[in-house]
Amino acid sequence: MDAQFIVSLVLIVATFALYIGIAVYNKARATSDFYVASRGVPPVFNGMAIGADWMSAASFIGLAGTVMILGYDGLAYIMGWTGGYLLLTFLLAPQLRKYGRYTVPEFIGDRYNSDFARLIAAVATIIISFTYSIGQLSGSGVVIGRLLEVNTVIGTLIGVVLIAFYSALGGMKGITWTQVAQYLVLIIAYLIPVIFMAMQLTQNPLPWLSYGEVISEMKEIDQELGISEYVVPFTEGSKWQFIALMFTLMAGTAGLPHVIVRFYTVKTMKAARWSGAWALLFIGLLYLSAPAYAAFSRFILMTEVAGSSLDNLPAWTQAWVDTGRLSLADGNGDGILQWTELVISNDIVVMATPEIANLGVFVIGLMAAGAMAAALSTAGGLMIAISAALSHDIYYRSINPKATEQKRLAVGRITIVLATVIAGLVALNPPGAITQIVAWAFALASGTFFPALLLGVWWKRSNGAGVVAGMLVGLGVTLAYIFAAKYGGFTILGIIDTGAGVFGATAAILTNVVVSLLTPPPSQKIQDEVTDLRYPEQIQYKNGEVWLRDVK
Amino acid sequence: MRKIDPDKANAYYRIRTTLICVYLSIGFLVSFVVVFFARALSSFSIMGIPFHYYMGSQGAILTFIILLFVNAKVSDMIDKRFGITPEQMNEKDQAVNQ
Repeated sequence: MDAQFIVSLVLIVATFALYIGIAVYNKARATSDFYVASRGVPPVFNGMAIGADWMSAASFIGLAGTVMILGYDGLAYIMGWTGGYLLLTFLLAPQLRKYGRYTVPEFIGDRYNSDFARLIAAVATIIISFTYSIGQLSGSGVVIGRLLEVNTVIGTLIGVVLIAFYSALGGMKGITWTQVAQYLVLIIAYLIPVIFMAMQLTQNPLPWLSYGEVISEMKEIDQELGISEYVVPFTEGSKWQFIALMFTLMAGTAGLPHVIVRFYTVKTMKAARWSGAWALLFIGLLYLSAPAYAAFSRFILMTEVAGSSLDNLPAWTQAWVDTGRLSLADGNGDGILQWTELVISNDIVVMATPEIANLGVFVIGLMAAGAMAAALSTAGGLMIAISAALSHDIYYRSINPKATEQKRLAVGRITIVLATVIAGLVALNPPGAITQIVAWAFALASGTFFPALLLGVWWKRSNGAGVVAGMLVGLGVTLAYIFAAKYGGFTILGIIDTGAGVFGATAAILTNVVVSLLTPPPSQKIQDEVTDLRYPEQIQYKNGEVWLRDVK
Repeated sequence: MRKIDPDKANAYYRIRTTLICVYLSIGFLVSFVVVFFARALSSFSIMGIPFHYYMGSQGAILTFIILLFVNAKVSDMIDKRFGITPEQMNEKDQAVNQ
């Protein structure tokens, strides 16, 4: 047992103890605690919770590496994942908050007055959240496995037990405050190494201001080496692929059930607007730093690793070669490692940074605790979404409407444990690359939920038949395009499987509009309810007249 | 509950919707439009970073964050102008009771 092992273990155990302590302290006592944290979370803290919920293992471990490898083309992820909050906060969240339900399928079912629409939405929630959580659990398995020096399988199992325990116990209330703590852990862990790297490379502790000079220097190196330049656009895919991916990630963000439900945990529409603003500020701290990480790491690799002789490489390279995530093959046999002979996995950039920059055991341990916080907080939110869809939308609203609060709470807890265990078992042997599965989950959300919610809130003429047809066509087109692009080599304007959401969303919106217009309009009561969403909660629209509510 | 003038309610909806359209257009401009003209925009730079790359890595995100805070603040001000913040409604009720 070396010092690194002990430091990592202590940091991870200490942060886990903190999360469990918070979950126990905020144990859910009523259904509304369990699903929406009694709707009493202040916007700033809700913003942090959204940030932790949102930023997954893929953001924490993979984003910087993706930008480093794709250069400018990787920025589609940065703009897409942040831009989604504009759509969410301007077009959906406050209105959904006013409608006042527990879950997204419940909104769709009640707004469109269709049990079948609610069922499709519940099933889509489960598919999307489940797919997404497999990535989180296998990510946490890799981190725990590498840092505690245990097998990845055991690492994944540790993650499963922990997530099942605290999400089942605390429900949304426990998770909210746990996620606030997890946000703080993950952002501190993310910022410390990049600030140290900025000081080492540019003598300026603010990486956001100083990585420009590193980018200029890399431009010269790129030109000397004659490789495709880092900042030159569309070297990895077409311009339309960039735009389609950006749209898919934006619309998917606005349609992800586990993120939307976080806006149900605040008191008012006003608090929902502020939550969105705070959330993007907290998320922005990480997303603004990822390109700096990418630039610094690429620069260090180009100047300190590439060009040196093979038997004189920095010590940290060996550890990553052993994991199979870094490959240093001397293709031309000259004993010197060229830049083109270096093959690096997206996932190692952030995790290897403390070693690349020689930051010591404490920072490496902190990094591990931060990566775990990112994986666990997102997985926790996803599990709540799955459990709500199963216990509330399917069990309570469709199977047993007479169920007592205790019974529904029990079903919610059991489904969380079951879903976590099943996702954990799948995560032991993930069906594909993690980032790819995550992109598919976004494409599915943008093809099903985004159109249903957008039209549900902003077009009162949209009806049950329209939304059912829209969601099914959106799902079908998205899935068909993913498979056709991935396995059939079929592409339109160079758009590959990760950009499929643009076709799914367009098809779903068109279908919803056409079918709605061909079928009778929704009842006057529902149309009034939709008109009511135009106003804040103090104003109520009823029978063609507008009323100011009494203050309670 | 008191009835209010439908014109006033419509004015509220119109101003909020117009602002949202303005915010979304700005958001669209700094992301999609800049990407579309990325090659042409790379000729000048900010802090040593070519403009299109700067917008992708920092400019767009900062604009998004500012838009969200401006929206939250301006919406609060609109609520106040229309006299529908909870504080204002409490005051009115007290005035009626006196």
